[in-house]
Amino acid sequence: MNNKGAILPAEDGVESAVIGWLKEALSKKVFDALLIPVEVPAGDSFAYLLLRNPALLENASPLPPVMPVQGAKAISRLTMRGNGSKRVAAIVRPCEARAAIELTKLEQAHLDNLWLITVDCPGVLPLSDYLEDPVAGAARFAEASQRWDRAPMRPVCQICHHFSMPASDLHIGTLGSAEGTVFVIPGSPKGERVMENLGMPLDAALDDWAARVKEMEEVQRERRRQAHTDLKAGIAGPDGLLDVFSSCINCHNCQRVCPVCYCRQCYFESAALKLPPENYLARAGRKGALRFPPDTLLFHIGRASHMVLSCVSCGTCEDACPMSIPVAQVFSLLADRAQETFGYVAGRSLEDPLPLVAYEMDELHQVEQPYVETYHGLQIADCEQEVQDA
Amino acid sequence: MLEGLKINKGAEEAVRDLLRSLLESGRVSGVLALGRTGRGNGGVAYSLFTDPDAFGADGVALPLLPFMPANAGGLLSRLTLKGPLAEPVAVVVKPCELRAFIELVKRNQGSPDNLLLISSTCGGVYPLEVGANDALEERLPGYWEAVKQGELDSDIRPTCRACVHFVPDNADITVALLGEADLDTQCALYLNTEKGAAFIEGLEDLQGTPLLGELEAEPIQRSRDQRAAYREELFAGVEAGLEGLIRTFGRCIGCHACKTVCPICYCSLCYFDSQDCEYRPEVYETELERKGGLRLPPNTIFFQLGRLAHVSVSCVGCGMCTDVCPADIPLSTIFSKVGDSVQALFDYQPGRDVTEEVPLMTFEEEELVQVAT
Repeated sequence: MNNKGAILPAEDGVESAVIGWLKEALSKKVFDALLIPVEVPAGDSFAYLLLRNPALLENASPLPPVMPVQGAKAISRLTMRGNGSKRVAAIVRPCEARAAIELTKLEQAHLDNLWLITVDCPGVLPLSDYLEDPVAGAARFAEASQRWDRAPMRPVCQICHHFSMPASDLHIGTLGSAEGTVFVIPGSPKGERVMENLGMPLDAALDDWAARVKEMEEVQRERRRQAHTDLKAGIAGPDGLLDVFSSCINCHNCQRVCPVCYCRQCYFESAALKLPPENYLARAGRKGALRFPPDTLLFHIGRASHMVLSCVSCGTCEDACPMSIPVAQVFSLLADRAQETFGYVAGRSLEDPLPLVAYEMDELHQVEQPYVETYHGLQIADCEQEVQDA
Repeated sequence: MLEGLKINKGAEEAVRDLLRSLLESGRVSGVLALGRTGRGNGGVAYSLFTDPDAFGADGVALPLLPFMPANAGGLLSRLTLKGPLAEPVAVVVKPCELRAFIELVKRNQGSPDNLLLISSTCGGVYPLEVGANDALEERLPGYWEAVKQGELDSDIRPTCRACVHFVPDNADITVALLGEADLDTQCALYLNTEKGAAFIEGLEDLQGTPLLGELEAEPIQRSRDQRAAYREELFAGVEAGLEGLIRTFGRCIGCHACKTVCPICYCSLCYFDSQDCEYRPEVYETELERKGGLRLPPNTIFFQLGRLAHVSVSCVGCGMCTDVCPADIPLSTIFSKVGDSVQALFDYQPGRDVTEEVPLMTFEEEELVQVAT
């Protein structure tokens, strides 16, 4: 991260300042196109639009009150087959940028010609809360984000500690800036080039922004720790897991909206699990009953083991769950533990290799130790003794 | 052949007894029915039961619960996709679930062999969110009170309030519920097929008197009229034209949950999730050049229209799509409305008869001349 940034006047608020700045970048041909949330025609939600016509920015919003589609999914759809020839600036939430970075490592997105632009994020409202009354929802969001009050936001936004600059190319710092201004902060050589082309000298100190971010991060970390402690008490063990997923209807919508779950066809929907009727009856017979469709809990465990290392805790899964299962909260807990084990933070950097792709000779001894030490019920020392005796 | 049985027990208890004794007597090897999941903290799912105790007084099965966590038509397809059952299995499902299964059988996605199909005159089901909020239990007394009078609880799925096919078409056994004033003490089972009668006859724990009278009594007709009127009302709210399509589907998030839970949408990989729809960047760039802007991910309305074209002829109006939509789009209303028009065009009623061919699979020399000209 750069320790210098530029100051952008924002007398009419962050949104219009960012839009004005993007318009200028378009007209100066610094970017060929923007990918940005725009209000849909009925005015009751937002959708990502790839646009080059500045007139379409009229209803655009860099910080919409909701995240109907995870931005990384839009980025992946655009670039999954390779880098485009147009220079695209994608204005996304920090967790969307982090997911885009994970997808790039997973070869589902290509960022050479795409600039990730983020803004200090107050969170988003749960989609269903917003849709009840979009006008009131927008007002509630504006009012709460003004005060950095995360209470009405998605439960995982309430405990998000990565709300500020991820590995984006350019970041808009709204925290700690003087009244009526925001910081523009380059985060990569790519981002610095844009600042140069826009004629924006990097002459502003970022100490105030960094201090405010750090302060808020600490508060959020503590909230996250507390929330995870409470959550863990309720979901520990097989029974706890069964309880939390007991109302799951197996629609797999959590998987479908997850930016990281990129498989075209999930194993759990594949022909591999379409079995002859005798199989289901035999399984039911062993236990007295078989939930149908089967493998409800196994699906969640399987999904978790596949994606928690790259989970960015965006909360899109929870928004999409028709049964209001706190799936994003459960996954955020699992993700933190799994990522910690590998010293990995999903979306922190394009350079950090995916833990399961990188081979380390010396790792995870804490997991293998108990097995080796008690192999066949014998201590290692006993085995060695036996070998010697033989 | 015995045409019906009047049992001196409440409907809930009689159906539980029926299923328990079918399992105990070995007449069926399993029962697919709704039941509580986990440690009973509010979760409800379909299960394939083999243990008769599930249907005891304290058992976890809830065969008549007005709830639909999945359209059982799809579940029966999953159960019999790889071949017919070798042993009999009884199922307790709603009429629209049965109709969906019939449509799937016509498409070679399942087999009715060895299935004992039990359904009921349906008073509708509650939306999934009622179950999600653990509010199902408290609604039940009101629900059954309304059903006894042939009325519907106003909080059931809108599509159920607008359903005119609530008397099952292909059930071997129909449990009379709607408009049965003495539901708590009496249960009328209509045995519609020889198969249904054969399974019941001589079943030790299920004593009753032969049933006289017709299932299609006044309350059923009254409910059908009321529901037909509400259907008109509901359909009138659908915005027409291209403008209406854009307004209605503008907030669609492209999750395709509607497709995933739709019993009729049986493709193992939807075209819109296939590689064909994963375009190279040049495709988007050409579109961008031409229109100045485009939505990502693409194909939002195209997907809805494609799905409408594929499923409307067989749409049974179960309402699963509306219930799972994270963007609160009234999908079931739209699909039922279009479904009615398409089905009328072919004089086709999905799920009515397993021998009736799906319109797109039959060739008629003289048809749709109004479209041809």
